Amino acid sequence: MKVMDRRTLVARLREVVGAPHVLTRPEDLVVYEQDAFLVAHASPDIVVLPGAAAEVGTVIALARAAGVPVIARGAGTGLNGGSIPVAGGLMLVLTRMNRILEIDARSRLAVVEPGVVNIDLSAASARDGLFYAPDPGSQGVSTIGGNVGNNAGGPHCLAYGVTGNHVLGMEVVLSSGEIMTVGSPAVDAPGYDLAGLLVGSEGTLGVITRITVRLLRQAEAVRTLLAVFETIDDASQTVSEVIAAGIVPTAMEMIDAVVMRAVEAAIHAGYPADAGAVLLIEVEGHVQALPGLMERIAAVAKRHRPRVLRQANSARERELLWKGRKEGAGALGRLAPSYYLHDGVVPRTKLPEVMAKVAAIARTHGLVIGNLFHAGDGNLHPTILFDPRQPGMLARVVQAGEEILRACVAAGGSITGEHGVGIEKREYMRWLFTEADLQAMRRVKDAFDPTGLLNPGKLLPDVMSSGAQADVKSPAFSVRPRAGLWS
Amino acid sequence: MQELRRIVGDAHVLVEDADVIVYEQDGSILQAMPEIVVLPADVTQVSEVIRAARRAGFPIVPRGSGTGLAGGAVPAGGGVVVSLARLNRLLGVDYRNRTAELEPGVINLEVTKGVAKAGFFYAPDPSSQAACSIGGNLANNSGGPHTLAYGVTTNHALGVEVVLHDGSIVWLGGTVPDVPGYDLCGVFVGSEGTLGIVTRAIVRLMRAREDVRTLLAIFDSMDSATQAVVDITAAGIVPAALEMMDKTTIEAVERGAPAGYPRDAEAVLLLEVEGVREYTERALRMAHEVCTRAGARQVRAARDEQERQALWKGRKGAFGALGTLAPNYYVMDGVVPRSKLPQTMRAVAEIAEQYQVRIANVFHAGDGNLHPNILFDIRVPGALDRVIEAGAAILRACVAVGGSLTGEHGIGLEKRDYMEWLFSKDDLEAMTRVRLAFDPQRAFNPGKIFPTPVSCGEVRRAPARIPEGLWI
Ligand SMILES: Cc1cc2nc3c(=O)[nH]c(=O)nc-3n(C[C@H](O)[C@H](O)[C@H](O)COP(=O)(O)OP(=O)(O)OC[C@H]3O[C@@H](n4cnc5c(N)ncnc54)[C@H](O)[C@@H]3O)c2cc1C
Ligand SMILES: Cc1cc2nc3c(=O)[nH]c(=O)nc-3n(C[C@H](O)[C@H](O)[C@H](O)COP(=O)(O)OP(=O)(O)OC[C@H]3O[C@@H](n4cnc5c(N)ncnc54)[C@H](O)[C@@H]3O)c2cc1C
Repeated sequence: MKVMDRRTLVARLREVVGAPHVLTRPEDLVVYEQDAFLVAHASPDIVVLPGAAAEVGTVIALARAAGVPVIARGAGTGLNGGSIPVAGGLMLVLTRMNRILEIDARSRLAVVEPGVVNIDLSAASARDGLFYAPDPGSQGVSTIGGNVGNNAGGPHCLAYGVTGNHVLGMEVVLSSGEIMTVGSPAVDAPGYDLAGLLVGSEGTLGVITRITVRLLRQAEAVRTLLAVFETIDDASQTVSEVIAAGIVPTAMEMIDAVVMRAVEAAIHAGYPADAGAVLLIEVEGHVQALPGLMERIAAVAKRHRPRVLRQANSARERELLWKGRKEGAGALGRLAPSYYLHDGVVPRTKLPEVMAKVAAIARTHGLVIGNLFHAGDGNLHPTILFDPRQPGMLARVVQAGEEILRACVAAGGSITGEHGVGIEKREYMRWLFTEADLQAMRRVKDAFDPTGLLNPGKLLPDVMSSGAQADVKSPAFSVRPRAGLWS
Repeated sequence: MQELRRIVGDAHVLVEDADVIVYEQDGSILQAMPEIVVLPADVTQVSEVIRAARRAGFPIVPRGSGTGLAGGAVPAGGGVVVSLARLNRLLGVDYRNRTAELEPGVINLEVTKGVAKAGFFYAPDPSSQAACSIGGNLANNSGGPHTLAYGVTTNHALGVEVVLHDGSIVWLGGTVPDVPGYDLCGVFVGSEGTLGIVTRAIVRLMRAREDVRTLLAIFDSMDSATQAVVDITAAGIVPAALEMMDKTTIEAVERGAPAGYPRDAEAVLLLEVEGVREYTERALRMAHEVCTRAGARQVRAARDEQERQALWKGRKGAFGALGTLAPNYYVMDGVVPRSKLPQTMRAVAEIAEQYQVRIANVFHAGDGNLHPNILFDIRVPGALDRVIEAGAAILRACVAVGGSLTGEHGIGLEKRDYMEWLFSKDDLEAMTRVRLAFDPQRAFNPGKIFPTPVSCGEVRRAPARIPEGLWI
C-alpha cells in the first residue's frame, strides 16, 4: 500500500472533523509541544480536535494508513512528558469532547466524554449531593481522560483511592480504529479486567472516548486541622503514627518550610513562615464521629512538639488552609525561574528516613528542594528549584532527581506515586521490574497495538539488548530547558 | 510422567484412577478426569512441571482447594492438574505497612488467624474461607459477605508472582499499591487460571475495627426487604455486610440448625456495621429506622458478641441446611445494580414458577449479588436439565437489568457460553488477544471463560460434595 502523503492526509482529516479542527501551521502547533514536564518538548506534525468517538476511529485509521504515530492529549498538564510527541506525528486533542453525558444519582455513576475537566464533574454532581473523588491538584484544568491515562491521584485519594478505583468502564478506540467498550456499571465484570488495564496506560493502548465513573456521596461533615511543626521530621513521624493508630484521614498533606515561605509571600494562607513543616489533616464522616477522631489525631500530633494545632472553624477558614496547599506549586514559581517537580512513593513508615535523605541530596548538589505532598500516602513531591540559564545546572537537577527516586525504591517504594512514567521515567522502570516482567507488559502492548502506532516512546523502556546491564545510564529524554509555566 | 516424578518426587505425582478421582470435580456440578495430578512444593518445581507438561503437549489446569463453583478447576480437556496445596506457607507479615506475603496454597482463613492477635485481618472472606486457597481466591477474584465494605480480592492484591506457559517467572504488580506500568496484577486477578500459575502473592491487611454491631430485620414481604436494602445505602450507611435470606431458606435453617428466625417471615436481613463506636451506634440506629420504615415486622440488635454470633449462625448454616429440603441444589451467582434488586427478585420468583423448581435465596444483598439456590432431586429424570435452564433464565434476567453473569464465583466452564450475552465479539476478541499475549498456545485451563463452539473432552454433571463447615 502506498503511504499517504501529508497533504492527502490533512485533506482527509479536514473532511472528517471539519477544517477548523485540524491544525498544521507552526504557530498553532507550538502550543502542543509541551506538557507540564518542563524540561522537554517536541512538535507534533498535525493536531486534530475530534468531536466524537466515530471521528476518533476514522482519524486513527487514517493515521495508521499514513504510518503516522498518534498521541492522545487532554489538557496537557501531565508531569511526565506523556503527551509530548517524541517521534512527531498526529496529536489527538480531546478537549472538544467535553460533555457530561449522564449523571445517574441512584446508581451513583456518571458517564463522561474524556475532555470533561475534572472539577466540572464534581460541580455538576454536587446538585445530587455527590462528588467525583479523585482530585489532582490540577483538577481545575486537567481532563478525566488524562486522569485515566495517568491514573491520577490527589490529596483525598488517601481515603478514596486513585482514579483506577473510580472507573467502572470505558469506550476506547483501538489502534485498528475499532471502537470497543470495556468494564461494566455492575462491579467486577467477569473476564479479564481490561478497564483496569487501560487505566494508567498513558495513551499507549487506545484512545479513550467515553468513561463511566463512580460518584460518591458527599460526607455529612468535614473537619480540617492545621498542625505546625518545628521540623519536617516531627511532621513525618506524626503522619506515620496517625496511620499506625488505625486512623485513616481523608487527606494528610505536608508542606515544608521552603514551600511555606513561598505560599505566604504569594497568598497569605496563614502559615507561619519560620516553622519547619505544616501538616494539613482532614477527616470526613458523620458529625458525631468527627470530634473524637480529631482528638485522637491531635493527641498523636502533640507527642511531636507542635507549635500550633488549629482547626478550621468555618468553611472559609478551611478553604484558606487548602488554598495554600493547592497553590503551593504555583507559588514556587516566585522562588526560582524554573522547577522540576518529582513524584516518588515510599511506605509511610519510611517517610522520616526518606525525607532526611532528600534533604541530604539537596545539600550534596547545592540545590534548593521544596516539599509539598500527599504525606498520608507516602507520596513525595520533592520540587527542585533552579535557574536553567546557569550552565550545567540542568544536569545537576536531573541527577539529584534520579538519586531521590533511587532512595524511594531503596526504601521499598516506587518511582511514581501518581504522575506516571511517560518519557521521564521510562528507563527507571528497570529498577522496579525485571526484563521478563517488562516483556509481559510489552506483549500486552503488542496485543493491543501491534504496529506501535499509539504514543510511541512512552511508559515502557526499549527491549534490553542481551548482555546490557540492567541499569540506567542517562535519562532518555532530550533536555531542552524552558522557563516554568507559572513563572 | 517420569520427568514429573523426577521434579517433584514419586509421592507427588498421581496417575491411578483411585487417586486422581478426587480431582475430577470442584464445588460445581461438573466433572472430568485429569490424566495426571502433580503437587509441586515450590516455584522452581512449578516452573519445571509446566515446562515438562508443555513439552509433552499436555494442557495445564491449576487447582487450589477445589471449592470453586463454576468448574474452573475441572480439567475439561484432560491434562495435568497442578495442585498448589503444598505451597502453603505464610512467608512474611509487615504490620507497619500492612501487607502479608503468602504462597497460593495458604487457606484464606489462616491469613486472618495468623494476624488477628496483632489486631489485623485479611478482608476478602468467601463463605468457603475455612477451605479455599488464596490462589483460588486470586484466580476467581472472590468476594464474601464483607465485600460490601471492603471490596473483592482484587482490591487487596498488590502483586503476584506468576509462572507463565514457558516456565518463566514474572512479578506482576508491586509491593506497594499503584505501581507504574500496565496493571497486569489486576488483569491476572480474576483470570481463572487461564494466564499462568500464581506462586506467591502480596496482599493488603486491614486493621481490626474498634466496634462491630449487628442487627437482624424481619420482613413480611420480599419486596419490602429488598426496598430496605436500597434505602439503607441511599441513607448513606455503608454496612460492612448486608445479607438476605428468603422464606425457603429460613425454613431450611429452622429445620436444620435453628437460629430463632420466625418461620412465617418472608425474608430476613442481616446487617453489620463496623468502625469507631460513635459511628457504629449511630449507623445502627439509622438502619433500624430505615428497616422499620420499609415495613420490617421486627428488628433485633445483638447486644453482645454471643448474640451477634447467634444472628450469624443462621446465615452461616443456611447453605448446609438446604439439604433438609431437597437432596441436591444448584447455586447460581448473578449480580444486579442494587436499585434493581426488588424487580430482579420478583423475576426470580416468576422463573421458579415457570420452570417448576423450588428456589432458596440466600445472598449478599448489599452488593446486589444474588445466590438463588435451585433445589432438586437428581434422581428425578430431567430434573437437572430443568434446573440448568432455570439457572440460565435467572442469569439472563440479571443481564437484562444491567447486571452480570457472576458476582464472585467466576465463569469457569459453567458459564462460558453465556459470555456472549454480556460481551460483543469485539470485546471477547480483545480479551482473547490479552490471553494469547500471556499464553499463546492456550496451555492453561483451556475451555474456561471463553465461549467455545467445540466441546472439549468429556465433562459429566453430578452434584458436588461440599466439605463440612463451609457456607454460601
Ligand atoms: C499544578 C499541577 C498539579 C498537579 N497535581 C496532581 C496531583 O495532585 N495528582 C496527580 O496525579 N497528578 C497531578 N498533576 C499531573 C496531571 O495534572 C495529571 O497527570 C492529569 O491526570 C493529566 O491530565 P491531562 O488532561 O492534563 O492529560 P495530558 O497531560 O494531556 O495527558 C496525560 C497522559 O494521558 C494520555 N491521555 C490523555 N487523554 C487521553 C485519552 N482520552 N485516551 C487515552 N490517553 C489519554 C496522554 O497521552 C498522556 O500520556 C498535576 C499537574 C500540575 C501541572
Ligand atoms: C460452600 C461454598 C461457599 C462459597 N462461598 C463463596 C463466597 O462467599 N464468595 C466467593 O467468591 N466464592 C465462594 N465460593 C466459591 C469458591 O470457594 C471460591 O471461588 C474460591 O476462591 C475458590 O478457591 P479454591 O482454592 O477452592 O480454588 P479452586 O476451586 O481449586 O480453583 C478455582 C479457580 O482458580 C484457579 N486456580 C487455583 N489456584 C490457582 C493458582 N495458584 N494459580 C492460578 N490459578 C489458580 C483454578 O484453575 C480455577 O479456575 C464458595 C464455595 C463453596 C463450596
